[in-house]
Amino acid sequence: MGTLSAAVKASGSALAAERTRIEVALSNIANASSTRTADGGPYRRRDVILTPDNVNSFDAALGKASATGVRVAGIVEDTEPFQQVLDKSHPDADPVTGLVQLPNVNTQDEMVDLLQAARAYQANLAAVTVIRDMVARALELGK
Amino acid sequence: MSINAIAGARLAQPGNITQGLSKSAGGADGFAQSLGRLIEGVEETTGAANTAVTDMLNKNGDVHDAMIALHHAETTLQLTVQIRNKLVQAYQDIMRMPV
Repeated sequence: MGTLSAAVKASGSALAAERTRIEVALSNIANASSTRTADGGPYRRRDVILTPDNVNSFDAALGKASATGVRVAGIVEDTEPFQQVLDKSHPDADPVTGLVQLPNVNTQDEMVDLLQAARAYQANLAAVTVIRDMVARALELGK
Repeated sequence: MSINAIAGARLAQPGNITQGLSKSAGGADGFAQSLGRLIEGVEETTGAANTAVTDMLNKNGDVHDAMIALHHAETTLQLTVQIRNKLVQAYQDIMRMPV
């Protein structure tokens, strides 16, 4: 049971991590044309960095950590240059050149990220289902 | 996880069962105590499931966390019911024994 619950915990952490990825991809899509932010300049695309969890645990030190979860190490901003579009009528256009700086978000790429994260979420749900079925079968031994 | 508590229950040792039920061995980790801990585990996991569902309803928690907590509670309860069934069955078997 201990191992199985650790496995469910690991899958649960992966579900939370994938949910974060989906949220970040969604906010990138939502802000695909935000030209004004609190820091000035257009919205910068954000990315999620994932890292294995429990790397410093007691079991890991003994080399016995079987189920290792995942956690969000951080959400970083993409340093790619902004897109520039000529639109003199835009309120945020450069008064001299007439160029508008748009976020460095590529909606197609974000959709791919979004679907990837959604599929990964489904994969982890399937893993939880496998463990749930194993436990249910083991309990049937008593019947 | 709270289910881990069950792992330490040492149910499979016949010596413990007799000690626990007869209460002859002072402070021994007997079967009655094991059953007590199992019920504590059920209460604990049910409480955790309750918290997770409340968190989810308050928009602080995730749906999957709530479902996993609910499943833990359900599994612990099923395990307890199975062990209780086995215990009652063993008792009835002994009571039916012709002397």
